[in-house]
Amino acid sequence: MLFPSRYSLERWSYTLQRITGVVVTLYFVLHVIETGNFVGGPSVWYVPPYDYARAYYEEIREFLHNPVFDVGLVIIGWMVAFHAVNGLRLTLAHFGITLGRPSRVEPEAPPRSFSPFQRAIFWISIALAVFAVVYSLNALMGVLAA
Amino acid sequence: MEGKVVFTVFRHDPSAGERPRFVRYEVPYRSGMTVLDGLLYIKERIDHTLAIRYSCRMGICGSCGMKVNGLPRLACFTQVSELGRSIKVEPLPNHPLVRDLVTDFTAFFSKHRAVKPWLIRKDAEEQENPTRQYLQSDQELERYIQFSYCISCGLCYSACPVVTALPEFPGPQALAWLYRFYADSRDQGGRERLRLVDDATGIWRCHFAGSCSQVCPKGVDPALAIQLLRRAVLRG
Ligand code: SF4
Ligand code: FES
Repeated sequence: MLFPSRYSLERWSYTLQRITGVVVTLYFVLHVIETGNFVGGPSVWYVPPYDYARAYYEEIREFLHNPVFDVGLVIIGWMVAFHAVNGLRLTLAHFGITLGRPSRVEPEAPPRSFSPFQRAIFWISIALAVFAVVYSLNALMGVLAA
Repeated sequence: MEGKVVFTVFRHDPSAGERPRFVRYEVPYRSGMTVLDGLLYIKERIDHTLAIRYSCRMGICGSCGMKVNGLPRLACFTQVSELGRSIKVEPLPNHPLVRDLVTDFTAFFSKHRAVKPWLIRKDAEEQENPTRQYLQSDQELERYIQFSYCISCGLCYSACPVVTALPEFPGPQALAWLYRFYADSRDQGGRERLRLVDDATGIWRCHFAGSCSQVCPKGVDPALAIQLLRRAVLRG
């Protein structure tokens, strides 16, 4: 049931929020390791004139400079923006803000928890995530300048 | 819509040790036919061994829940004309299978019982020998009336992805019942009720996927009840 094609937007939000949460956490761990490698660890700063540090830096930079990692970063950009804004939507829901009030049931009316305000924030999270993609594509590959 | 409808029905008897399978049955269509009517036609005319559970045939008892064309629905409340000529019927997910389309609701009902679905009152004597009615304003009624329409059909429970991942989660039905009593001005359970579900496997596990509210045939909106429970805990 990874692709909840028969379910509502909220179920898509759930699926995306979970996938992006897991991927961004994994990325965060890798990112810390990668950045640690990038600076070469504390030992490289011990011996001036830091030739070893410079060589290490260049080596890692070369390794990271390829389109696969760039595309990965663009996807991470999408995920971080979506997860953050959609997470705010869910936090508001925890406090009962932006939800409809309970009342008598009206036949055929959508559930009050699927309020237009909640759905608007979901779409804003998607829009901001798309913006993050455009921004990162431009930053990494200069697509807007091209 | 004339002619035949093809029902593809899940068949499995775990006690017989056979493999689950889907069996195709052709049923003549008649106007106003529900999915339950189609299944009863199969049981009466084609294969008596088909196991189904139902009672009221009018969306009241909540016993005929099953997965119809991919979504949990009440078989007696679902018109064949809404679905087209090909209908796939499976047992409800998240409830253990008994046989064919019949599932076991034992865990579901014990979770229901665990939230104390009754009025908690401190005036024990008045409860035994009532002398008056408990009056309620319209506004007080509206705070919970929606959640009291639940018929405990278990559709929301089978649609919930959190129940699938974490079987200890009370599920949308039990939590909606809890809120129904918490929000009732006649109830005196107060925070004692919230404490029942304010833990690692309780209300905080809800990810607001909203599938419960989507499939509920009674407009109960359990997802709203769960958010309101969290609000009650967070706002103290
Ligand atoms: S809340 Fe709705 S779907 Fe869930 S058990 Fe009650 S009536 Fe059925
Ligand atoms: S038979 Fe009672 S709800 Fe369907």
